[in-house]
Amino acid sequence: MHRLSVTPRNLGVIAVGLALAGGAVACGPKSADSAAKSGTDAAPHKGGTLYVLNNQPQTNFDPARLYTSGGGNIPSLVYRTLTTRNRANGAAGNKVVPDLATDTGTPSKDATVWTYHLKDGLKYQDGTPVTAADIKYGIERSFAPELSGGAPYLRDWLVGAQDYQGPYKDPKGLPAIQTPDAKTIVFHLNKPEGDFPLLATQTSFSPVPKAKDTGTKYADHPVSTGPYEVVSNQNNGEHIVLKRNPEWSRATDDQRQAYPDTIDVQSGLDQAVINQRLSAGVGKDADAVTTDTNLGPAELAKVTGDKALASRVGTGHFGYTDYLAFNPKVKPFDNIKVREAIAYAVDRSTVVDADGGSALAEPATTFLPPQAAFGYTPYDPFPAGASGDPAKAKELLKEAGYPHGLTVTLTHDTNKGGEEGPEVATAIQDALKKAGITVKLDGLEHNAYDDKVYSVKTEPGLFLAGWGADWPSGGPFLGPIFDGRQIVKDGYNFNSAQLNDPSVNNEIDAINKITDLSAAAKRWGALDKKIGAQALTVPLVHPVYKRLYGKDIRNVVISDWTGVLDVSQVAVK
Amino acid sequence: MSADTLTTLPEGGAAPLAPPSGARQVWRRLRARPAAVAGGAVVVLLVLVAAGAPLLAALEGQDTTTYHAALLDSRAGAVPLGHFGGISGQHWLGVEPGTGRDLFARLVYGARTSLAIALGATVLQVVVGVALGLAAGLGNRFVDALLSRVTDVFVTMPALVFTIALLAIVPSGFPRPVLLALVLGLLAWGGTAKIVRAQVLAHKSLDYVAASKLAGSSTWRTARRELLPALVAPVLTYAAIQLPTNIVSEAGLSFLGIGVTPPTSSWGQMLSSAATWYQADSAYVLLPALLLFVTVLAFTVFADGVRVALDPRAAGRLGVGTRKERRAEARKAAGAGAADAAGSVSGSAAVTATADAPGSANGPAAASGSSAAAAAADSGSGSGEEKGGAR
Repeated sequence: MHRLSVTPRNLGVIAVGLALAGGAVACGPKSADSAAKSGTDAAPHKGGTLYVLNNQPQTNFDPARLYTSGGGNIPSLVYRTLTTRNRANGAAGNKVVPDLATDTGTPSKDATVWTYHLKDGLKYQDGTPVTAADIKYGIERSFAPELSGGAPYLRDWLVGAQDYQGPYKDPKGLPAIQTPDAKTIVFHLNKPEGDFPLLATQTSFSPVPKAKDTGTKYADHPVSTGPYEVVSNQNNGEHIVLKRNPEWSRATDDQRQAYPDTIDVQSGLDQAVINQRLSAGVGKDADAVTTDTNLGPAELAKVTGDKALASRVGTGHFGYTDYLAFNPKVKPFDNIKVREAIAYAVDRSTVVDADGGSALAEPATTFLPPQAAFGYTPYDPFPAGASGDPAKAKELLKEAGYPHGLTVTLTHDTNKGGEEGPEVATAIQDALKKAGITVKLDGLEHNAYDDKVYSVKTEPGLFLAGWGADWPSGGPFLGPIFDGRQIVKDGYNFNSAQLNDPSVNNEIDAINKITDLSAAAKRWGALDKKIGAQALTVPLVHPVYKRLYGKDIRNVVISDWTGVLDVSQVAVK
Repeated sequence: MSADTLTTLPEGGAAPLAPPSGARQVWRRLRARPAAVAGGAVVVLLVLVAAGAPLLAALEGQDTTTYHAALLDSRAGAVPLGHFGGISGQHWLGVEPGTGRDLFARLVYGARTSLAIALGATVLQVVVGVALGLAAGLGNRFVDALLSRVTDVFVTMPALVFTIALLAIVPSGFPRPVLLALVLGLLAWGGTAKIVRAQVLAHKSLDYVAASKLAGSSTWRTARRELLPALVAPVLTYAAIQLPTNIVSEAGLSFLGIGVTPPTSSWGQMLSSAATWYQADSAYVLLPALLLFVTVLAFTVFADGVRVALDPRAAGRLGVGTRKERRAEARKAAGAGAADAAGSVSGSAAVTATADAPGSANGPAAASGSSAAAAAADSGSGSGEEKGGAR
């Protein structure tokens, strides 16, 4: 996963981060048990219209341009992919399962060649059959500069794809993808990638029939393989209406339930308005859900006291970690004792409250999120209890040569309510004060903040950061942050500690060769623990997402993969 | 005319622009207005609270930054435990959701921030406004035209947008309260300048000023000796109106998240963080909102009282003051031309109208104006211009 073509990928990750910070993207309703309950107490009803009330529009609704995890929520209703995420509650939802393909892929011995066979009876919305060549063409489109966006992994992973300009400029196509027959597709990678089946969930792995390709206009009327087809797409994803695709068959798709006949996705709504409408549930709003608006602390406080409302809250755990990032190239953070002192001094209980309390954030001591798929291995190298250990911190500072304390600057985002925002920063400031560390706050507007902290040239010594992965695995979680070959000199750099440790790099390469995902996960967990002892970051919290859904919504399924209720599973009473 | 009559004329004469009489008289007239006295008392109290913030917080035994996680219900969005925002013997006004910081301490320190910024901005507005207004009024045609156009630009400029832009480009190391006072002060001096210029022009043609010039005084000496004293009343009045406007502006900027930086508290900052909590913890919203309301009202009522006390005749012409006072003024004017005067300046009511003027001839205008006066800097300066023109 090294040598990433930096810009697009970072943009994507930032987009995810931004959306999360704004409460926009990831997460969802329902704890696993209550979801199971509403799934059984009423048999899901087929038909009706499901309304989705969102804040952010679903822009660039083209499989080549969407940057999704697991195929996305709304996009996955229209675009089927080679593999997809398992539509199940909780940890089971972190599994990758076949979608268009018969299995999750057959690797060569060193995981550099991946072969997929298509299922029988796959059709587009116009009844024409899906072929392996269409999938190849769909992937090639994602390289076209006209269709910007999308995940950049394939450019780095496929043999000879580095400079490919897409099928419009280069119709010969990518030799790294071969289609020996109409139902077989083979990928040749330039390095071992055990995570390839997880990448194959992204929308660029969706077939596009060459004859129907309208280039940049394809997003308005894409050719569906999923249970729904696009009726209209107004203002670049602001209002999307989907109706049932008659050619889709449940016989070839055991993942999507597709209960409602119509799905109406309205975006551009204020987040407070969305939550207000969902809680009131007047008229059509009883049949509504949101896929991008969380309950804020104040809204949660109100909902908690109301049993009827509380039963309509779904809980999601998207793999994400908010942390304090150090730049050890800046004094005094070059001294590990100073970093350890700060790790001891941090009071996670106040950070949790700053993030909205224990229902919206869980204290973190590991960099990896607490999910088996990532390789979570519990550890705490600097045990400071729930609310910090200022005495131990003072001791360490003394050893580090600061017996009278020291003054540091903490850079944060001025975006209120964000996970890198002023609330968290002042909580840290207060906790460190008890250990004799005076914290000056340097609040920057969101874009200025990103530009400053993610550039090796301007990176401050101490700042708030957050990270989520493109799929639930230790690789995309640890790689960009700790792989020395992913330090980016002239663009967005997420290896904030600028760690370039050959033993870490080698271990990352070794794990990428493993095609047994659970075996790989164990190794990622061990690696996380090993890096954690160096105090290059101070993990603060793993956010939890709470979302309301309408009164008449049934069959709520929230996987850990997305942390948000799966629109393909929802039924309207 | 002798030198004697020159000096006595403005006081005793029928000129509409009588300078204020002695301080004792002003005080007597101010005292006769209970609303103004009450407003003044609240203002004094607020200043005392702001000045004594550290003392008050120490008395309570709290400070503005210490977190109290134990006082929050972490499972319910970190809302304060207990009733009405967690009010207790230790925390007189409860604690802040999400942090558990003491609200009483944050409010009194917030008063300090809010009042200091507003005061700084107002002083700056007066200094710049008087200086430029004098220069425009006394300068030659070219200077006047240039300064007046510059003033027009500042008056018409969308101050909020400009302020946001300015605050965004200044490095974060610059002390925020000072910056806020500077930005608010340097952007909103236009009203004062216009009033001063209009006053200077009106006075310039009066005999006593002309005489001073004829007697050989320099322009600067004339300005200092003859004009500045005559400006005290209108400028003081306008400043007293600008002050609450500046408090609201600071609150507005902090509400938008571009005011004071954490962990400093100000009323606007508190309102901003409290905005989402109005249902779950209404005490948190009510406290700063109520304080802001009372403060602005007190300042406005007080300013109106000062205005009337400084220049009772002008106030009578403008149709402000109590009904009794207005009736007395009307009797004095003996009908001639009084009615149309009241009508023609109804716009000025936006600046001077107060809660004690319902049911007046221009009642609706006054009623709508009183809210506008507190909220909008633009309406204040706009009316100021109208007033200048009316003379």
